[in-house]
Amino acid sequence: MTLALRVEGLSKSYATTAALRSLNLEVAAGEALGYLGPNGAGKTTTIRLLLNLIRATSGRAEIFGVDCQRRPVEAHRKVAYVPGEPSLWPQLTGSETLHLLGRIHGRVDLAYRDVLIERFEFDPSKRVRAYSKGNRQKLVLIGALMTRAELLLLDEPTSGLDPLMEVAFRECVHDALDNGQTVFLSSHILSEVEALCQRVAILRAGQLVEVGTLSEMRHLSALTVEADFETTVPDLTAVPGVKAVVVDGSRVRCQVIGPIDPLLQVLAVSGVRRLVSREPSLEELFVAHYGADPSDPSRTITDAA
Amino acid sequence: MPPDASVDDQAAANVVVIRTARRTARSGALWGVVFGGYVALSAAGYASLYPTPAARAKLADSFEANAGLAALVGTARHLETVAGFTAWRSLGVLSVAGAVWGLFGATRVLRGEEDAGRWELYLTGQTTRGRAAVQALVGLLAGLGALWAVTAVIVSVEGSMSTVRFSTTGSLFLAVSLVAGAAMFMSVGALAAEVATSRRSANGIGAAVLGASFLIRMVADSSSNVGWLRWASPLGWCEELRPLGGSRPLALVPVVMLIVTASVAAVAVARRRDVGAGLFGGNDAPAPSTALLSGPATLAVRLVRPVAIGWFAGLAVLGFVIGLVAQSAAAAISGSASVTSAVERLGGHRGGAAAYLGIALLSAAALVAFVAAGQIGATWGEESAGRTDNLFVQPLSRRGWLAGRLAVAAGLVTAGSVITGIATWVGAASQDSGVGLGQLLAAGVNTAPPALFVLGAGALAYGLRPRIAPTFTFALVAWSLLVEFAASVVHANHWLIDTSVLAHMTPAPAADPNWSAGAALVCLGLLAAGAGVALFDRRDLAGA
Repeated sequence: MTLALRVEGLSKSYATTAALRSLNLEVAAGEALGYLGPNGAGKTTTIRLLLNLIRATSGRAEIFGVDCQRRPVEAHRKVAYVPGEPSLWPQLTGSETLHLLGRIHGRVDLAYRDVLIERFEFDPSKRVRAYSKGNRQKLVLIGALMTRAELLLLDEPTSGLDPLMEVAFRECVHDALDNGQTVFLSSHILSEVEALCQRVAILRAGQLVEVGTLSEMRHLSALTVEADFETTVPDLTAVPGVKAVVVDGSRVRCQVIGPIDPLLQVLAVSGVRRLVSREPSLEELFVAHYGADPSDPSRTITDAA
Repeated sequence: MPPDASVDDQAAANVVVIRTARRTARSGALWGVVFGGYVALSAAGYASLYPTPAARAKLADSFEANAGLAALVGTARHLETVAGFTAWRSLGVLSVAGAVWGLFGATRVLRGEEDAGRWELYLTGQTTRGRAAVQALVGLLAGLGALWAVTAVIVSVEGSMSTVRFSTTGSLFLAVSLVAGAAMFMSVGALAAEVATSRRSANGIGAAVLGASFLIRMVADSSSNVGWLRWASPLGWCEELRPLGGSRPLALVPVVMLIVTASVAAVAVARRRDVGAGLFGGNDAPAPSTALLSGPATLAVRLVRPVAIGWFAGLAVLGFVIGLVAQSAAAAISGSASVTSAVERLGGHRGGAAAYLGIALLSAAALVAFVAAGQIGATWGEESAGRTDNLFVQPLSRRGWLAGRLAVAAGLVTAGSVITGIATWVGAASQDSGVGLGQLLAAGVNTAPPALFVLGAGALAYGLRPRIAPTFTFALVAWSLLVEFAASVVHANHWLIDTSVLAHMTPAPAADPNWSAGAALVCLGLLAAGAGVALFDRRDLAGA
């Protein structure tokens, strides 16, 4: 198996804080890895380390076997990067910016660039200063994707895009994967990661807390069960394996860890009108990692940050 | 509602005033020290170099009749007194310096903040577009107050010396006159900031107004027949205030009228226009031009181009004016104690126009060094805004990028020095001054080595501590200028003078340029730049 990315003990500390603590991570060529974490977890720090924009305190990272810190120029030939907050030259137009980025990278699929411009409904004739946030985001997306680089480092790439453009973005990632490219997608939009990535790594406070395929990770978590009752809601708190019981009128929601049998036996004799059970969403997995009660509707991902 | 809620509202409503005032007052106080120091040094230097009435009368006779010098710094009056000399020497120079300070300060607050997207944060708070503009103007006024107060205190203290003796009201009025240029161009800058679509173009508009004012004032002072033209230039009004001897507070009328009109107009435009827009809509969809977009070095050339055009024009005008007045100025300063001693101190031996040109081109050298410092500032600006990230994630070496960027800056500096030399020759030749093109071209190029050293030192600072690199580099040039000025009026310590980068150049064409000293400066600059490039390669980038 060829490794697109190999990270060993990568750390970055500033005077008072450890932004990233001994990160170990491998991404296979052709794979899409979702890199999740709340704001300030160290996602951008990781990507800036991989790009040698900042120097590692310790540890190393390789892109297709090339050391990121020692041979950055060679590593960058295999990489295209999309920042979440693009900062471009305001006086250049969109097409001038694409020309410049293409010339510096040295490799551009011109036909694909035109496809991208059309797909994102992007008007490249305006100056960057006249673009909205979403249009600037489209510009850096096109600039990165048009290189068809082996490894795409995407740092919250869809911030500012509307839902239609989000669809166009997903199409592009599928293109890239079909084309054998590797995708490293840093995000806090869980549905995006869920739709695009086979594997997920979760970062919290500079530390990797979980890596695995989505199915592997689901085993770690509970099953979510929702039930509506004809009459009174039975007391489920004493049922073995049942956690986080929330009663709302005649409706109850809970998490089940381990066998579901004990719960079913209680429900069967309690007059259930409607029963829904489902695998936890990535969001619920995610919130579980931060110790929040997933049934508390006031808690959102951003709160967890 | 808690009882202190209204207090918080008050603070929230005045946040623009407070933040602007704090920022501008700090820099105003700093410039007040420079203004006051300049005045004090002028007065003290005059008193020590021309102690007798006879020496003063001789100075007055030669300088007051000199059209060339008058064109450059303003018409001289009462040079036989400390007061007259001090007012003449400080007003012409400091009015322009203050105008530049006021202009850039105003566009920074009223447009720079908006360009950076921070203004919107204020506008969504407890204020409106018009009110925020008024508040920014009030904050700028506080900065102006700081400039005036510090200047006034230093001038008053100096004025109380037994060899100087300015009246208290005279000192205070001198401070008013020195600050008038800053005040007027602050309001011009405010209006330009509202009318233009970016801070860059607002600075351009303001600089054009300042340039026109200077040229009109120059023409007015070059001959007594057209003296009335002074009333057509804001810088002329400053001169017509005639502080320290025949004060004319009436000339404050047009000054105040300009400030009020421009400020009111600025607020009116601010109230009407959209955030991010200007009165003159810039073209947001120009025909694409891929010229100079083939790589990082050419990109640097493209980004520097508008700045370069401005600097080249400024240096050309300065060189031309210096050349133009050289012949008549030389006649006036022949035998002048201060000029002769200055030329000798700097290693010059020729007299006449060459002596004057040697001294005058020192100011051009300082300006060329400021060009170099500006390049370090621009490089840091690109990095801190996160724009260079777009380059450094590409397959391109950081070392190569900075070396290329510095080479572009060095090219800009060198071209500026050549242009200065040629423009000086054009001016001098039109007056048959007898100084040849070869000599003046060499004198122009002679201004480059100190600037190239400054560029190298700035690059080292940029590799080491990028955040303070621009301040360090500008301070290095300002310090050198201050030391040169101090050394020209008082006997200064040899070690102190050596800390000035400008002290290490010969005042060509008063003497032949010392090319080996120049080469040594450039080599030191190259070494520093090399270290800066190596350090830059290994440090974290600021980025967004």
